[in-house]
Amino acid sequence: MSAKNRETANVGAGNWKGLGMWAWILFRVAGVVLVFYLFAHIGVISSARLGGHHTMNTIFKTFDKTLFVLLDLLLVWAVLFHGLNGVRIVLMDLGIGITRHKAMFWACMAVAVVCFAFFAYSALNFIADKGGAWL
Amino acid sequence: MPVATFHIKRFDPDNDDMPRYDEFSVPYEASLTVLDGLFYVQEHFDGSLSFRYCCRAAVCGSCAMYINGRYRLACQTNVRHLDGDVITVEAMPHMPLVKDLVCDMTDFFAKYEYIEPWLMRNSQDPAKEIGQTPEERKKLDMPIDCILCGACYSTCPSVWGEGNYIGPAALLKAYRFEVDSRDEARKQRLAHFDNEHGAYRCHTITNCVEACPKELNPTEGIQWLKRAAVRRRLFGRLK
Repeated sequence: MSAKNRETANVGAGNWKGLGMWAWILFRVAGVVLVFYLFAHIGVISSARLGGHHTMNTIFKTFDKTLFVLLDLLLVWAVLFHGLNGVRIVLMDLGIGITRHKAMFWACMAVAVVCFAFFAYSALNFIADKGGAWL
Repeated sequence: MPVATFHIKRFDPDNDDMPRYDEFSVPYEASLTVLDGLFYVQEHFDGSLSFRYCCRAAVCGSCAMYINGRYRLACQTNVRHLDGDVITVEAMPHMPLVKDLVCDMTDFFAKYEYIEPWLMRNSQDPAKEIGQTPEERKKLDMPIDCILCGACYSTCPSVWGEGNYIGPAALLKAYRFEVDSRDEARKQRLAHFDNEHGAYRCHTITNCVEACPKELNPTEGIQWLKRAAVRRRLFGRLK
């Protein structure tokens, strides 16, 4: 281990347990995931233009497989988390509920869970209909 | 007499390569605070242990430390109120160290001074005092309790990431004067926090609220400042 100086000796310790802290970190992670997804999405849609409808149909058949449906569910969670936590932050920026931000966070997450349950139900039905091939 | 084990994080930048934890056994009775424990260690085991303190009554903010995983004032923390008899005492995380438990607060106070934390007036003062209604005074109840211990500043990820961010404590103080009915320097002070190093750098992470040993809410003040700054930009209003 390299020697520490007075600037670095104390860095990295500390407060990693606050709810707001984790909400913020996951908010950022979900945001980055959504940006990458957006580019992937544009790439897939462009395949119709660039490679013709056969290319797009082939790609879409792949996306019907179980693995990709489950990845879709992860994407749904990223959208719900990012969107609803974003609503909470907008409310806080408007001066609403700053002293009750934890309750607001859990309320937003409750809405997210309810929405997610709906999507999960649809996705699992879809997987069951398709026979459940992984890839 | 019960004995508490103090794990104290030690680091001397002039002599040590790495921080280390030293262990000391401190006998205690009902009223021992962590600060008393540190005095005991200094007197009986190791005179070179460094820490800051002053008032011993939780009003000066000198002895803020990271005790058993939470920001606390050493003078206000009774050993009996902590879980178990093992007490881990560390300097406030993420701050440059002077030695052991003593953080370098230079940046913290430079940023505090930057927002001009004093009452500024343009008009002629009245012959007696400057009157305030109870409602006007009530707005100051929360921010006026800040003791400048630096816990919020130490725990704020926006401060970790952006060295020029003036931080929750300075912004809370700006808020304290912005809501003071006697202060008349809104335009001047607004320029200090209405920028990328000021209120907008706060991402409402609320670590400062978790950390504050006086249980204040700096985020509430910072959000107020953001709204005031936006109102000023959109509508030219100062209040």
